[in-house]
Amino acid sequence: MSATRDDVGGTPLPPGWAKPAHQPDAFELTTTTFEERSAKTMARPFARAAIANATDHAAALTTAKFVGTDHDALRDQARQIRAHAIAKLPDYLDQWIDQAEENGTIVHYAADESEARRIVAQICTDEGIQRVVKSKSMASEEVSLNSALEAVGVDIYETDLGEFVVQAMGDRPGHVIAPILHRTKDEVHELFSTMAGHELPNEAEALTAFARQGLRHAFLTADAGISGGNFLIAETGEVLLVTNEGNGRLTTALPDTHIALVGIEKLVPRRSDLAVLLPLLTGHGTGQQITTYVTVASGPRREAEADGPKRMHVVLLDAGRSALLGGEFEEALHCIRCGACQNVCPVYRQVGGHAYGWVYGGPIGAVLTPLFRGQAEASELAQATTLCGACDDVCPVKIPLHDLLLGLRRRTDQDGFVPRGERLAFALWGQIWSRPLLYRASTAVARGSLRTLAHDGVVSAKAPMLRRWTAGRDLVVERLQR
Amino acid sequence: MTDRASFLAGIRSTPRGVDPGLLDRQSAPDAPTQLRGGEDRSDRLQAEAEAASTVVHRVGASDVETTVVGILIGAGAQKIALTTDLEPFAGAVRAAAVTAGLDVGTYGEIAPDRAQTGALDATVTGCLAAVAATGSIVTSAAGAGRAGALIAPTHVCVVRDDQIVGGLHELFDGDVLAGAGSLFALQSGPSRSADIEKVLILGVHGPGNVHLVIVAPH
Repeated sequence: MSATRDDVGGTPLPPGWAKPAHQPDAFELTTTTFEERSAKTMARPFARAAIANATDHAAALTTAKFVGTDHDALRDQARQIRAHAIAKLPDYLDQWIDQAEENGTIVHYAADESEARRIVAQICTDEGIQRVVKSKSMASEEVSLNSALEAVGVDIYETDLGEFVVQAMGDRPGHVIAPILHRTKDEVHELFSTMAGHELPNEAEALTAFARQGLRHAFLTADAGISGGNFLIAETGEVLLVTNEGNGRLTTALPDTHIALVGIEKLVPRRSDLAVLLPLLTGHGTGQQITTYVTVASGPRREAEADGPKRMHVVLLDAGRSALLGGEFEEALHCIRCGACQNVCPVYRQVGGHAYGWVYGGPIGAVLTPLFRGQAEASELAQATTLCGACDDVCPVKIPLHDLLLGLRRRTDQDGFVPRGERLAFALWGQIWSRPLLYRASTAVARGSLRTLAHDGVVSAKAPMLRRWTAGRDLVVERLQR
Repeated sequence: MTDRASFLAGIRSTPRGVDPGLLDRQSAPDAPTQLRGGEDRSDRLQAEAEAASTVVHRVGASDVETTVVGILIGAGAQKIALTTDLEPFAGAVRAAAVTAGLDVGTYGEIAPDRAQTGALDATVTGCLAAVAATGSIVTSAAGAGRAGALIAPTHVCVVRDDQIVGGLHELFDGDVLAGAGSLFALQSGPSRSADIEKVLILGVHGPGNVHLVIVAPH
């Protein structure tokens, strides 16, 4: 590279701009309850409206996208591909590794989160990497990669616009594919104006341009690009990335080193399987025919190619995945991270992604978090669902999410995480409601009490005994007479 | 450090779930990313590309260079680069661009210098294929390079009619991708983001101004 760091295009971001990025390692899972975390989002009325608008929009686009096709048959095919890949995971991993190594990729093995951090930090130290551009990766969120790299003196630039805002705010992504769903334009405006040192126009276009300028400079001067991977293709040893902004491709194109951190469950057998999985990933994710950029890298640049990294590393991440193989919760590994279950979940739509306390929100987060982090930390998440089944209906690979949630509730009970009082209450309730006479009597009592509390058929926020329920919404007791 | 053998041994030692078998690859899936029966490839490509905010030009082989240079001048581009996959149109495009006073380089020569690459106003590339049902072009590391089609604010891609495949199934199941080199990529319209309050912005990290020139058969 003949250019020095300062004579390339773009505008360098001010020193210290990413300082807040040192904070968000502290996942709230262990220190707060679901109720406390939910309350934070619920207290921001805009966030609730924004989440509802954005998720409605995404859900409507998905429905429209598949009109005139046999959507259900496509989802069955996707389910088969994922179930087969996971059932034969060791064989496909073996095949992928052979192919990738033949293509010149250096493959690393991370049994857990700390090993993933160590491996990537070691690569940076060994290769003298000081500046990294990063394309959005949930796997890197899982292992808190940024802080590990900052600890060895690496400057990291999240290049997805939403992730860039998240990083600069010291926040966490609020949605698998729309990281700042819970943030307003005004908040981004204030942040970017502070970074710029002057008032920027409060328009999405100008704010995006500001980020582009700074990140362009980062792209043109970075020593390494770090990405995740949406799929690993066994027959070719390839890593597939989808993005809309183009940052994923630039991450794999401009710096001399490309490092991809990918969960082992992302394997699919063949390229031809993508003809089924890609339209579902993008259709259910963003409602697009296809994402703007689909990038499939098989290794470092070859002789006579104009650009590309001299070295490509792939870090295969287990971190709790293999423990699910063959068990009751194996189907959680079929997930392709489209985020559609979040969009339709009546709980997620009210409380947002942060309430789930770790990396993944919504139904898939309520399933994966206790499985990856342990029941002791996250058992209450299985209660953060109405069991309405909307997630099952929308899942592009037909993961029976509500069965998995029920399974987790059962396990919470078996493992002794349910308080004695709650057990007794449910035992009593079971006894009463399995006897018709007692059932009718109990509902009559409940109806009568609520009528006493209600005004015009609605129990409002002031009701003394129901404050926890009515603090965030009204309880409608009776439909108004027409 | 965990090595390959112990990593895989750990995974192999887990129980196996039910295997529904490999999906039959013979038939194309019924997906919006496939061509419908009776559809014309070029027409569908144009419709999908336009839906993704690409500007489409349909021309004869003899009009390629004037169309491309017209686009570049319209975009106010001065520094431009051509990639190797622009053949067989590269010579004519280069000559017309030089005549029009543009600063024309070869992407392969510029790419090693990131400062120069970042200063490009436009790139003109060919492609490995185009996918009608998704409105995508397919570029390769061996042809347009990894960043050749998205490094500059304006991108012009020239595709021959006979390079258009119907849908994703034909692309991934056929031999279209042979010779792609270390990377292939589908690219469908301008770079975009709706991260800030769902407002669609074109031209985030990649080009905001994307043109597809479809060259009709002789």
